[in-house]
Amino acid sequence: MYRVELEQFEGPMDLLLFFIKRDEIDIYDIPIARIADEYLTYVRVMEEIDLDGVGDFIYMAALLINIKARMLLPSQDADEEGEAVDPRRELVERLLEYVRFKEAADQLSTRRERRREHFVRGDASADRERVEESHEVEVDASVFELVEALGRVLEADEDDDESEPIHEVAPLEHTVEEQQRYVVERLRRDSQVSFRTLIRGESRGFVIATFLALLELTRQQHLRLRVAERASDFSVEARDDAALQSDRPLQQVPPGLQGDGAVGPPSGRSGEE
Amino acid sequence: MPDDHTLEEAAEAILFAADEPVSASHIARIMADVTGHSEPSEDDIDAAIDRLNAAYEEHGRTFVVEAWAGGYRMVTRASFSSFAKAFYVEEQETNLSRSLMETLAVIAYRQPATRPEVDFVRGVNSDYAIRKLLKMDLASVEGRADSVGRPLLYGTTDRFLEQFGLDALDDLPTLREVEDLLDDPAFDDERAKLLQLDREEGISVDMIDAEGIDASDDEDSSG
Repeated sequence: MYRVELEQFEGPMDLLLFFIKRDEIDIYDIPIARIADEYLTYVRVMEEIDLDGVGDFIYMAALLINIKARMLLPSQDADEEGEAVDPRRELVERLLEYVRFKEAADQLSTRRERRREHFVRGDASADRERVEESHEVEVDASVFELVEALGRVLEADEDDDESEPIHEVAPLEHTVEEQQRYVVERLRRDSQVSFRTLIRGESRGFVIATFLALLELTRQQHLRLRVAERASDFSVEARDDAALQSDRPLQQVPPGLQGDGAVGPPSGRSGEE
Repeated sequence: MPDDHTLEEAAEAILFAADEPVSASHIARIMADVTGHSEPSEDDIDAAIDRLNAAYEEHGRTFVVEAWAGGYRMVTRASFSSFAKAFYVEEQETNLSRSLMETLAVIAYRQPATRPEVDFVRGVNSDYAIRKLLKMDLASVEGRADSVGRPLLYGTTDRFLEQFGLDALDDLPTLREVEDLLDDPAFDDERAKLLQLDREEGISVDMIDAEGIDASDDEDSSG
């Protein structure tokens, strides 16, 4: 949850400004060597928290180190009047510009808040359309529904189990490969079978391993999954009989899946007795 | 008889029925079409709107006519917002994230602006933010720059003006002077969040004084 905060509220320029404010540094005379080192230290911490958002920070750190290096060398650049150019100048100008836009963004936010105190005719319908639109775009409905269906199945499973959660890691009961074979066997008998039927009366570990096996088989185009409208179950059907019937061995599960794929009870949840 | 009606009445009827800002010239045109008389000037319309607003004020009406995005809109007064909000409870738009606001600010003040220009000011890739603003119809593509690669030029939309209660781009708040900003104590608030984060995560960073930014850095105070 902190990751979100980092991405939303702080960028690489903000971090520089943070050092400047904290140490009451004169923005026109930044002690680049020290700031560059501190910046790097901070970026390393950030890598621990949020790898995704750290790229832009690394770029800024590189820029600082570049400036630090140029400060150590005898100046070669000169402006139109022949005076030596401070390697920090461009960075400072950028920072100042950024500060102005940050402030402008705040002012605009305030304006928007004030504006939102007023309501106009047509607001309701226009907003409703927009809300619906944005949902459509951001959610991949089919995958989402699939996971939702799994969630409901697991939830139903949980209801049966009223015992206190036991925190222990039980040995793995079912592997994804095993479950792939199970599903294939099953589909040789019936061309279509519902997920609930496949896992009826089985443990959580079995349910999850089976679910992953289905995803893997679907990825390999052996199956087709159909999600019902209410998404509390879905059905599995053989897509290509030839592939299932043949003696051709099932494709290896990719390494990523294999690691997570060997499913025991999720740690910290109820253990299997 | 349409000609019996005053400009205020006509404007009021139009604005009541409209679901977007209506410009003074549009009102004038409608007036001429309906009455068959010559078109009133835009100043006449503006004056009629002023009289309407004065009358609303005098009679304690809950609405007022605002000038937004180059037109007039009839809107509820801010002091009654809680009622309207409660009515729209499901449809409340969320606040724009800071990255969207920053991106929007750069585009608004610099328009037409290219994505590299926006990226440069913010120090981060703004691709996602710009696409989001385009989708929200707050920004739009205004053409292509003549520079290398002919990047797209972005500007703000009428919807942006309306959403921010601005009549025209000239009404954007002026950018504050830098020195002024750096001395503003409010400037520290966001930085404090970063410190808070370190403390909560339990990550010790030597250079960060977990007690806050007000504590002076005694071992190394330069600048």
